[in-house]
Amino acid sequence: MMSKSIVLVGFILLFSCHEQKERLFIKAPTKETGIVFKNSLTASDDVNILDYLYYYNGGGVALGDINNDGLLDVFLSANQLPNKLYLNKGNLTFEDISKKALIEGNSSWNTGAIMGDINGDGLIDIYVCAVVGVNGFYGHNELYINNGNETFTESAKYYNLDFDSYSSSAAFLDFDLDGDLDIYLLNHATHTQESFGNVTVRSKRNYQTGDKLLRNDGDSFTDISEEAGIFGGVNGYGLGVAIADFNKDGYPDIFVGNDFHEDDYYYINKGDGTFSEQLKNYFGHTSRFSMGNDAADINHDGWPDLLSLDMLAEDEIVLKSSEGDDNIQIQKLRTEKYGYHYQFTRNMMFINQANSRFLETGLLSGIGATDWSWSGLFADYDQDGEQDLFISNGIPKRPNDLDFIKFVSNEQIQKKIDNTKLVDQEALNMMPSGETHNYIFKGSKELKFQDKSGIWIDDNLNVSGATAFGDLDNDGDLDLVINNINEEASIYINQTNEKRHFLKLKFNYFKPNSFGIGTKVYAYSAGILQYKELYTVRGFQSSSEPVIHFGFGSVNSVDSIRVVWPNNTYQTLKNISTNQTLTINPEDTQVLAKEKTTLNKSLVFKQTENNLGLNFTHEEDNYIDFNRQKLIPYQISDRGPGVAIGDLNNDGKDDVYFGSSKFKTPKVYVQGDSQFNEQIIKTIYKDSITEDVEAIIADFNGDSINDIIIGTGGGDFFNNMPPLLDKYYSQNNKHYLKEDFPAYFENANVIKAFDYDLDGDLDLFIGNNAVSNDFGNIPNSYVLNNDNGYFSILKDQPFQNIGMVTDAIWDDFNSDGFADLIIVGEWMSPKFFRNEKGNFVEELTVNQKLNGLWQQIIPFDIDNDGDTDYLLGNWGENSKFKASKDRPLKMYYSDFDNNETTETIVCNYNKDGYYPILGLDELASQLISLRKKYPSYKNFAGKQISEIIEKSDLDSAKELNVHTLSSGYLKNINNQYTFVPFKSELQIAPITSFLKYDFDDDGTFEILVGGNYFGVTPYHGRFDSFPGALIKNDSTVILGNKIGLNFSNKAIKSLNIISFKQQPFLMVTVNNDKAQVYELTNQ
Amino acid sequence: MMKLTQKFSLGFFFILMIYSCKPNYDPIVVSTEDFHLSVDRVIDAMVHDIFSPPVASRVFVYPNIAAYEIIAQNDSMYQSLEKQIEHLGAIPKAGKNKSINHSLSALIAHIDLSRQLIFSEDKIKGFRDSLYTKWENINPVEFENSREYGLQVSEFIANWMNNDNYPQTRTMPKFRVDSEDESRWQPTPPSYMDGLEPHWNKIRPFILDSAAQFKPTPPPSFSMEKTSLFYKELQEVYDISERITKKGDESEEIAIAQFWDCNPYVSITRGHLMFAVKKITPGAHWIGITKIASKKDNANYSKTVFAYTKTSIALADAFISCWDEKYRSNLVRPETLINTYFNDEWKPILQTPPFPEYTSGHSVVSGAASVVLTSIFGENFDFIDNSEVPYGLKERSYSTFSEAADEAAISRMYGGIHYRSAVEIGVEQGRKIGKLVVNQLNMIQ
Repeated sequence: MMSKSIVLVGFILLFSCHEQKERLFIKAPTKETGIVFKNSLTASDDVNILDYLYYYNGGGVALGDINNDGLLDVFLSANQLPNKLYLNKGNLTFEDISKKALIEGNSSWNTGAIMGDINGDGLIDIYVCAVVGVNGFYGHNELYINNGNETFTESAKYYNLDFDSYSSSAAFLDFDLDGDLDIYLLNHATHTQESFGNVTVRSKRNYQTGDKLLRNDGDSFTDISEEAGIFGGVNGYGLGVAIADFNKDGYPDIFVGNDFHEDDYYYINKGDGTFSEQLKNYFGHTSRFSMGNDAADINHDGWPDLLSLDMLAEDEIVLKSSEGDDNIQIQKLRTEKYGYHYQFTRNMMFINQANSRFLETGLLSGIGATDWSWSGLFADYDQDGEQDLFISNGIPKRPNDLDFIKFVSNEQIQKKIDNTKLVDQEALNMMPSGETHNYIFKGSKELKFQDKSGIWIDDNLNVSGATAFGDLDNDGDLDLVINNINEEASIYINQTNEKRHFLKLKFNYFKPNSFGIGTKVYAYSAGILQYKELYTVRGFQSSSEPVIHFGFGSVNSVDSIRVVWPNNTYQTLKNISTNQTLTINPEDTQVLAKEKTTLNKSLVFKQTENNLGLNFTHEEDNYIDFNRQKLIPYQISDRGPGVAIGDLNNDGKDDVYFGSSKFKTPKVYVQGDSQFNEQIIKTIYKDSITEDVEAIIADFNGDSINDIIIGTGGGDFFNNMPPLLDKYYSQNNKHYLKEDFPAYFENANVIKAFDYDLDGDLDLFIGNNAVSNDFGNIPNSYVLNNDNGYFSILKDQPFQNIGMVTDAIWDDFNSDGFADLIIVGEWMSPKFFRNEKGNFVEELTVNQKLNGLWQQIIPFDIDNDGDTDYLLGNWGENSKFKASKDRPLKMYYSDFDNNETTETIVCNYNKDGYYPILGLDELASQLISLRKKYPSYKNFAGKQISEIIEKSDLDSAKELNVHTLSSGYLKNINNQYTFVPFKSELQIAPITSFLKYDFDDDGTFEILVGGNYFGVTPYHGRFDSFPGALIKNDSTVILGNKIGLNFSNKAIKSLNIISFKQQPFLMVTVNNDKAQVYELTNQ
Repeated sequence: MMKLTQKFSLGFFFILMIYSCKPNYDPIVVSTEDFHLSVDRVIDAMVHDIFSPPVASRVFVYPNIAAYEIIAQNDSMYQSLEKQIEHLGAIPKAGKNKSINHSLSALIAHIDLSRQLIFSEDKIKGFRDSLYTKWENINPVEFENSREYGLQVSEFIANWMNNDNYPQTRTMPKFRVDSEDESRWQPTPPSYMDGLEPHWNKIRPFILDSAAQFKPTPPPSFSMEKTSLFYKELQEVYDISERITKKGDESEEIAIAQFWDCNPYVSITRGHLMFAVKKITPGAHWIGITKIASKKDNANYSKTVFAYTKTSIALADAFISCWDEKYRSNLVRPETLINTYFNDEWKPILQTPPFPEYTSGHSVVSGAASVVLTSIFGENFDFIDNSEVPYGLKERSYSTFSEAADEAAISRMYGGIHYRSAVEIGVEQGRKIGKLVVNQLNMIQ
């Protein structure tokens, strides 16, 4: 008996010991610290969530050493209660000196708090923001000038900083490099914007709601927003601000996160006292309800990356009971008619590409969904040399709960809001609680973060907002101070101590910026760079310790550190010991040369000015597949245009055919002496109803004149509609004659020509992708045998229902002289077919479960071992789809509701089972019985697919799987193939195009890669940030933005080499955009 | 050995037992109030479940027809709708031996079909089960027979109902938004919902020979030329709203607009906080007027069911006809154009509902229902309409049904959500439908 209990107790102790061991942060009890601050909210008639939309945003945190005694002090602002200042007495004990310090404040509603030396006397001051002029709020932003004796004097008016507007936070920066600190004041609107309104609304300045750029003129600040090009409109909901020199030109830039549908602002400092807002030029999309943000270099390239937080939940129950994303038609309205940029509800991770468009990798990085998130802070918490990420989150009540919105709210609130301002606490209590655990991620290679929530830090449920980091106990590691709502502030003490080494740098720069705000540090150790810039305002409504902190693992001495001062002079320190705090003064500085983006010197693609006359622009028609088939995972009608290169006029020169979408005309360009010229071919042009997805120019009937074959598709056509027939035009005497062609009504996606039966004429493989109006049904693909211009479908071929084909290659993989076929497609594995003298037999070459959403295949000896490997373009790892061998992505296909149309239900594995990706509203719009089965969202949320659909219906449905979404290659080892995924840089978006050529003229081939895809709903967002890449071999990949390519934000359809005046050029066909032509500058 | 007296008592006891096995139950009395209450419960459930106006009309009509057909079996004053509605066959007859309480069966059929049509069945089940218990206690034999019959008829009507194309229209394509065509309807603030029920004209009508039977003349051609009729009507909407807004909350026009709002889902947003303010649909409003008229008229049970049925048939066809035109002309709402051209901060007094503008649903259905109600209750039937009181709107009085219909129509202009053509032509479109129903249906002998 006794022994059992001992074992049990021992086990528990062991378990908790282990847990404790992994705990990076341990909460310091209030009793010990003395920090008893609590941001308690008391609702009243005027002040409640109904009347003030940011009632739940919380207060602020500012960390700084106010008395220069080497101990970090803590300032906390509450919304309704007095501010508090805690003096650090050492050993993690703090003394409340609020009253004596005279910083308790006189405004009725405070928000963010930041520390900075405003008057340049070496003592850190405190600026506290306030919301004034609504809901009965009075007061103004307050500036507490540090008197040096643990007291402060409120001097906002003196400095012209006593704004009585709607302020969230503020940030210090020296934007004009005149040595003193200016201020960016972040304000927010308080009314609810009901109609989108045109983006031009932001140009009309509004005092209360508009952000302000305040130039420090010595004794006062001047609002220069108008001259400086800073927006201050009535629809700005500024909640996050990050300062960094994003383009490394020596001048700090500003990123502002705006909640709701106003775009975020990306202000590039022009260096002449003004800024230029350039969001659309650098970002393909942003977060939708932008809240806190943070800038830090996470991939060791010396360029600051950017995080922007939103409110996407991870938990199934929350996800399925909260309002979902925009529908796609509304997104179109917002972007095309009203001028807003693309915004999606999830955290965004923007990787800086040095003056090219940012890469967005939030989902790939694993940090996309952290619920209602406020503050994100990058820092090396475990001091292993990689940046980690802490995210605070939570909201007292979830106002976007669908049951509350649609069913509960009505009776309770309706009467109240009509008559009085009385808030009914009971009604609000019906909203579900939004308490959640904070998140913490461990940074690692390849842009990926590991979720350590609940392990590194406790997973208590609460509502946490403003957060700051600093070394409270002077043991070298970074501690966290978190301002919570209706709960005491949390002080988390980092347990790393000196287990892994640190280096802290303080700066003693020229006054008035003695703290050196804006200083950049490059730390090199063992060939790896860690880059940091000193700005204290990070995350949300708070400022952190004005010190730069590095983690160095077990390294004892850092090879070199280059300090670049705000005035763009620098000095280098060498062999610096770790585990110390250094104070650095400017000494023996040199002027820094301006950072140049390094283009790969051995190869540059140079975009031609006039495209050699190929001025083709593909225009998609307006058709949205989702209007007809509401549940399908992606579109099928946007896979064009088809493009073919060949000699059409028999002059020995390349000409080009571009297909078109429905009702738009295809175009033919004939090569002239100085450029390509459009030529109108009547027979082909009048067939413009078709959606042309593939095309081939070749001599099919043996008359030595090239003909053209066009594959058509498009979800707008279904059943046996003629536009689904592929077309064959033979050329004779400069006339095109439409020839007979086998009649099959399919959505073609690939046509590849080859003489597989060695009888002298070109045969065809036609790969078809989807059945219109019946997504999930597998179409037939065909080999067409050519008999001197007469095509017939090969009988007894194994290609019926082979899959949803996207690409195929004729490749003699068994080296027997007969070209074999390798076929790839969506929801299937690559399939190898051996050509046995004209008969095709499937060879089971690929053993592993390798179903993917494959888009492209190309043969290439990537590992230089003499045999052919196969590169495969897939969907990529940067989407909400999850797939693995053991837990594949599933799609169920069936006529679930017996109404003679089929549906597809796509499911992800999430923690403990399979859940449909779509919510109740979307599913019920197609399967109406679900509305009856689940009269409330609460009933539906958290139900697995096996509970939602009857077992018998699921069992009789067809199940399609995807085991991997990664692009990669089939590595050939003695004709056995193993799949090797590419690195993260090639997983950012679907890869849709490969081209093999010796681009750099070095005698070996390279593979050029293009991708991106926009045919998904706002739930997925847009896969837009892949800049293309050049693969030299399995260890050398160069991103397209380094070699002159302009592939970002473009959905690349195909890459071709075209010969013009005997020179090779790269021609890029883009979906719904202009074609591009590049010179190969090395040739 | 039993004594003789004991035998006698035993015998007497047995005889008593036998008689008590054939008890005398009271007949179940089903009143008009019971029927009204059932209709009210359905309306409550529909408000909760947020049924759109056209779909709500379907939820009213089929249960009413089921109830009416049962009544017509038993009351010689009323004729069956079989064949009068071309595709309605004869309902099953009650078995001869069974004693059926037709009023009871009618009510049970009504409740059962309503339950099938709404989403949150619990709302009806509770109501139903307590009635069932009450009736069973009063007279289990009559209850059981009547219930069996009522459910039989309910099943018959349900089969007929499920062939009206409703299931097929659930999965038909969404309305395609094309913001480059200025004349074309676009989603409106604050929720920017997709166009509701773009395929409602494919629902099988009752009396209309086709959805387009009363296709109205097309709306004024879209034009932003100041001299065009379209522009003048647009300007009129804006001017009216400015004028009545200045009058403030005492304005009679604003009261009228609110009274006929009948928007089942008005979305209110406050930052991230959203909630819905729900009301009865236009069809439900006229069903409510039907109830008021029946009560004022002291209509008996049969007449009450008759009135609900005839009115809901007119409403159902009115929605089909109206929606047919809405998604033919696909006309843009005033709010979209006013925000673009006149005033980007202007909001209509009512929230613009999510479907195209021409013709006005309220106008069409009010025209139709008012003609039918006039045929039942008379030309000069004045009444006090208190159907919106539960939704915070004061009662209003009318001297005729026609007056109410005219007010309903013009209210949409006051509300800032329709041009004049849509309401004037719409109400006439509705009156034609009402007249067709009146002429074609012989329900009263």
